[in-house]
Amino acid sequence: MSVPLSQMWTVATYVLGQKLRGHTRYPLVLMLEPLFRCNLACAGCGKIQYPGHVLRKHLTVEQCLAAVEECGAPMVSIPGGEPLMYPEIGPLVKALVARRKYVYLCTNAILLKEKLQAGLFTPSKYLSFSVHMDGLREEHDEAVCRDGVFDQAVEGIKEALRRGFRVTTNTTLFDNASPIRMQMFFDEMMDLGVEGMMLSPGYSYSKAPDQEHFLRRQKTNELFAKMLANPKKRWKFNQSPLFLQFLMGKQDFECTPWGNPTYNLFGWQRPCYLLQEGYATTFKELMQTTRWEEYGRKSGNEKCQDCMVHCGHEPTAVNHTFSSWRGFRDTVAATVTGRL
Amino acid sequence: MTDEKSLEGWAPEIPDAATLAEVVDRAFDYRGDVTVMLDDGRELVGYLFNRTRDVAEPFVQMFERENAGPSRVPYARIRAIRFTGRDTAAGNSYAAWLRSREAAKAASSSPGA
Ligand code: SF4
Ligand code: SF4
Repeated sequence: MSVPLSQMWTVATYVLGQKLRGHTRYPLVLMLEPLFRCNLACAGCGKIQYPGHVLRKHLTVEQCLAAVEECGAPMVSIPGGEPLMYPEIGPLVKALVARRKYVYLCTNAILLKEKLQAGLFTPSKYLSFSVHMDGLREEHDEAVCRDGVFDQAVEGIKEALRRGFRVTTNTTLFDNASPIRMQMFFDEMMDLGVEGMMLSPGYSYSKAPDQEHFLRRQKTNELFAKMLANPKKRWKFNQSPLFLQFLMGKQDFECTPWGNPTYNLFGWQRPCYLLQEGYATTFKELMQTTRWEEYGRKSGNEKCQDCMVHCGHEPTAVNHTFSSWRGFRDTVAATVTGRL
Repeated sequence: MTDEKSLEGWAPEIPDAATLAEVVDRAFDYRGDVTVMLDDGRELVGYLFNRTRDVAEPFVQMFERENAGPSRVPYARIRAIRFTGRDTAAGNSYAAWLRSREAAKAASSSPGA
């Protein structure tokens, strides 16, 4: 695994601190969406479909920082839309780094080279560019519905690495992905020199009967089990090994929807990054008034039956690491040996 | 996002509070602007992004097209809601994407394609 020690330490002390204070529900990563606008229109993306006047709006830096303070999570992920289109992205990132938040700026990297050349960012252990890469050139360009985006992203990655920035990739996989092609993709990303990769299955929701839900989860398990059966030592993943084991069917985790709370123009999104069932005005209101028991697979909520996505289940994996000796032992073993 | 028929152009009658709550829910799910008609005859045109039901005075929140917003409107003041803006999600659901991918694959693998 490739998460730097200082970041691991920050997360470990934060989680243990929450546990010592008896907090059972606490945020781990704030998903901060300063705008919904994007320079791509990927198939199946539910983040960008709003009327023009909404797409032209964005949060102010002050609103973003107030949300960060209110939430208190040690890590801030900035997805979107495309955050490099946010006019205040430079000042926002600078202010977050000054607050020692570990920032993952999630970008399709079309504008990355240009923004780096414009001097918008300074390398820091607190800042990682998390570049959206859905596979090798063919798969990626197909997923983002535009030819040439893979090559642009690679250019951006190279430029960021050349300038000394931390770079990771984030990949969403559907069960039609080819394990062999994905393994080739891992090699290619490692050849480029990225620090680590993040994987998540895509979210799909259908009003399917129980048996189909089960099969869909089984398909996800099969895909990840095949892909990660014999992970090469050189493949680095910037995420909890227990979450990867969950995707492979070796762990059974429930969702922790409050683990990665989402804040955007509309407020604090209930209950998670994917479902939009309403908005709270404050983080406290989100935590206190959301009916958390109505979400996650065990709740029976049909929208949650197929879901194994990272924003709901990685916080569970991290919590598991610090909740039992078994969880801790499994995490350390996977981290040291590289085996999943 | 579901793959149901778009509500674009819908102008439902709202005879009672139960219907109002239902129409507000539909407007909340709708990915286009709506026109909210108030009891004083005013019309608010914009994106209805939230509704809060479990409070003493339920309300909706909107980004109006012509104002910075957001604005807040109690349910009790709403007389009608028209689905007047373009549905930006129509045909863009994940299910629609899967269908188009499958169709493209079938076309490219069929003999003579
Ligand atoms: S780059 Fe991200 S936000 Fe933009 S359309 Fe694609 S998936 Fe959606
Ligand atoms: S299971 Fe998935 S869809 Fe349901 S609350 Fe968790 S993250 Fe959201």
